[in-house]
Amino acid sequence: MERNNIPPGWQYNPSTWSQRIPIIILAFVGVGVAGYLSLYQFELINTVWEPFFGNDSIKILNSKISHILPIPDAALGAFGYLVDAVTGIIGGKNRWRNMPWIVIIFGLAVGPLGFVSVLLVVFQPVLFSAWCTLCLVSAVISIAMIGPAMDEMLASLQYMQRAKHAKVSMWKVFWGVKSEVLKVT
Amino acid sequence: MKKIITAIFGIWLMVAPGVLNYSKEAADNGHIIGPIVLTFSIIALWDATNGIRKWNYPFALWLLIAPWILGYENTTAIISDIASGIFIFIFSFLKHPVQQSFGGGWQSLFQKNPEHLEKAKKNS
Repeated sequence: MERNNIPPGWQYNPSTWSQRIPIIILAFVGVGVAGYLSLYQFELINTVWEPFFGNDSIKILNSKISHILPIPDAALGAFGYLVDAVTGIIGGKNRWRNMPWIVIIFGLAVGPLGFVSVLLVVFQPVLFSAWCTLCLVSAVISIAMIGPAMDEMLASLQYMQRAKHAKVSMWKVFWGVKSEVLKVT
Repeated sequence: MKKIITAIFGIWLMVAPGVLNYSKEAADNGHIIGPIVLTFSIIALWDATNGIRKWNYPFALWLLIAPWILGYENTTAIISDIASGIFIFIFSFLKHPVQQSFGGGWQSLFQKNPEHLEKAKKNS
């Protein structure tokens, strides 16, 4: 059965590759930038590229906040971006309906990463009177992913809402059990 | 476009303390409010999350009163914060010219009979 992949009341399908590929590219750039910064924090390289703020980047990357967890923050960031990239890739062009679980994990992965990035941007000047160029780049990337990722999440949440109205198991629809998914428009 | 303007004000709040030599209180305020406004402005660039622009309101209003509550010593900082607050409020208030319905949008998730449900019934 051929089904319309545009969510009802929408003008476009948020799960198409043209919608998702830009976010996936951004996520991989994020993996690269944060991964590079974590090389410094793991002492695999001796310095980091800093075009504007002199020794500031090193001050930030060695700060107490960045080592508040057992794993340095840039490494956690790189892992976060990797989760964004992988959850962005998994699933086909109607995954907002067939795989709500991955869309929702994707949305939840993108959101908090952006929030933590902003928090770290605030800490740089307020606590350490320093700026780190690549940390700012990383933050901008994580924030730029939020808007385009959220539309897909909205489509999946609305879909689950229709499942609830149709008295179809939301749990099974969430996991994309095919017999249940076919019951909901 | 409007959100790009509020984003630029967010960046201004972040860089102004360094450029204009603010006192500690004024600088910290800019360094905190700037990234927040910038974040909401960037997220609001997309139609599906344009509603986030409204999250700028409390921060814009805070900028109008912050100089007195925090006791700024620098007149330029007072003028800059108040002007930024006014412009961020105005440009956050304005909607996108093209508004898609998104099946009723985020508020539909809390409605009993949302638009997307009606449309789905019609389609089937």
